Amino acid sequence: MKAEENIQKELENKFNYLIGKVRIQRVRRLWLEIDYDKFRTVFEFSINQLGFSLLCAITGLDDGEKLGLIYHLANPNGTVLNIKTSVPMNNPVVKTVTDLFPAAEVYEREMADLLGAKIEGLEPGFRYPLTDDWPTDQFPLRKSWKMPEEQKGAI
Amino acid sequence: MKLINKIINWARRKSPWILHFNTGACNACDIEIIAALTPLYDLERFGVVLKGTPRHADILVCSGPVTRQVEDRLVRIYEQMAEPKFVVAVGTCSCTGGVFKGCYNVRGGINASIPVSAYIPGCPASPKAIIDGVVKLLKSLEE
Amino acid sequence: MAEAEEFRIPIGPQHPALKEPESFSVALKGEKILGVDVRLGYNHRGIEKACEERTYIQDIYLVERICGICSHVHSTCFIQGVEEIAGLQVPKRALYIRSLVGELERVHSHLLWLGVAGHEIGFDTLLMYSWRDRETVMDILTVLTGNRVNYGINTLGGVRRDITPEQAKDALTGIDKLEERTKYYIELATHETTIINRLSGVGVLSKEEATRLGALGPTGRASGITQDVRKDDPYAAYAELDFKVISDNHNDVYGRTIVRMLELLESYKMIRQILNNLPAGPISVRAPRRIPAGEVLSRYEAPRGECVHYIKANGTDKPERVKFRAPTLANVQAVKYMLRDRYLADLPIVIAAIDPCFSCTDRMVEIDDLDSGERQVLDWGTLHRYSIDWYKKQGIDFAKMGARQK
Repeated sequence: MKAEENIQKELENKFNYLIGKVRIQRVRRLWLEIDYDKFRTVFEFSINQLGFSLLCAITGLDDGEKLGLIYHLANPNGTVLNIKTSVPMNNPVVKTVTDLFPAAEVYEREMADLLGAKIEGLEPGFRYPLTDDWPTDQFPLRKSWKMPEEQKGAI
Repeated sequence: MKLINKIINWARRKSPWILHFNTGACNACDIEIIAALTPLYDLERFGVVLKGTPRHADILVCSGPVTRQVEDRLVRIYEQMAEPKFVVAVGTCSCTGGVFKGCYNVRGGINASIPVSAYIPGCPASPKAIIDGVVKLLKSLEE
Repeated sequence: MAEAEEFRIPIGPQHPALKEPESFSVALKGEKILGVDVRLGYNHRGIEKACEERTYIQDIYLVERICGICSHVHSTCFIQGVEEIAGLQVPKRALYIRSLVGELERVHSHLLWLGVAGHEIGFDTLLMYSWRDRETVMDILTVLTGNRVNYGINTLGGVRRDITPEQAKDALTGIDKLEERTKYYIELATHETTIINRLSGVGVLSKEEATRLGALGPTGRASGITQDVRKDDPYAAYAELDFKVISDNHNDVYGRTIVRMLELLESYKMIRQILNNLPAGPISVRAPRRIPAGEVLSRYEAPRGECVHYIKANGTDKPERVKFRAPTLANVQAVKYMLRDRYLADLPIVIAAIDPCFSCTDRMVEIDDLDSGERQVLDWGTLHRYSIDWYKKQGIDFAKMGARQK
């Protein structure tokens, strides 16, 4: 797994707080976990220096006290670097990455609508994916949210 | 064969116009509805014509579970149609909500919003089933 | 060429007081498009949340129905991710069968697309021909899996149905027929000047733009991005199959057409390889009900582009979190760029050319005419007819095309 180990080494050499934090799951899959204040630097390094030119998706997770964020980056050789970070759920401010990836807008709006993330720096635009009349304090993807009415015959 | 000739003649006289509306479906039923109009299955031999406007449609053919985004529009389209009007729910999702029953953005089957005249189950409903359902509907109107 | 002052868009037959969630908002100056805004969410059903409340096996059937054209895509992308977390060794025969259904699905999807594209440019004969040919592959799929769509072939640990030698033989005959028909379509696309003129220079997207926007699949490959998950990040049986990644440098709708047609030929090659070299052995392994804690990022090359699933397991029989990123979500962002400085009449085919995974039969388009200050809402049917009439005035009329006997 030469290529994956090279990427791991470059990250650990550049950022010594990443030593021991870059996990090679299998061929073409790497995961790393960092604090949010260091996220942007590592993100830009991965894109500009390591060749991860494609943002596949941004996943938001309800992690109890934290709002988990995973940025899935891929390079043209099929390797995926998954960067995990988080912000506190009671103040879920996430800075936009649309300046680097315009397509990130839909993923960020989705996190805002479904998990209650507050995206900083995003231009005003349509809600996605919920309807305009969906209440703005209801976040369906949070673990604590349950459907208000029971649907007959639902699983 | 006499009965089928009666239906074909009735359909040709009446030439029901259909409006096809997708209420949040996965598209499988929509493709099968359009496939029913292609030469292999050819719904048009029954005189059925696909039209784009609710005002002239006799039959509203719906596919998909009703999502919140689409609910108002579905009801409005139904209200714009002139009597006599009929609604056909194509696919299991239109009949009952299908696999999406219980999802937070889904209301249920079409009958949660508007009255339905015929249900065509299937996931997706095959073109043969769609033709069968439409013919059954036309036959029931004859009686 | 119509004068800018005489330009009037006919209003659709909808109630003027209707306040719909428009899917597309277009700002028009003269006849040129200044900007396009896309509104998504029409088909939002709440599937990710529903998956957390159902078991992994139940989720296979739900996930299959995210999209009715790419159902095997989502089902496989999901289940191979879960199998990775659980550390299951899926038998080779099952991986080959999965790839077979995947390629057959690609064939049906591209032929479907060809018909839809033909319809959008006013060439309905192409719709009838290609959808008739498509029935051949639908028959193969029905015999192999039991359904025309939503095959239900996957289970946790492998596939649910095996292939008999007779079925394989019939499938090969069907593929031969389809290959002959596809070669005819390629000849049509590369020689018929009406088609070339209609599609060239429309919906241009440069390689850099496509990369920045994450527009992959045939859309990106037509702009020179030679990426294909089957080659770069192989899954199922693709590491053992011999095929080319098709790319093109036209950067426009014409390029996207050529790429899809040539991809069909590669798919036929792969289908033959699979059917002639099917490994012996079981078609599934036993799988646990509870999946150990872990997370995975699964990728799949859908007919439309790259499909990505993230799955997090927590040791129970239900997933903790699933995130589905369908290819159209990435591709549709590129539409804004493709329509810059083009004509309103190009909108239907440009959108059709990314092969969108939402029903295009009923999308509302809001037009903001910057010159007159008027705002109108059109339904897709009206825009479709306007587009065909507009191009007829430019001399591109498919009804006048010389009929080829076939």
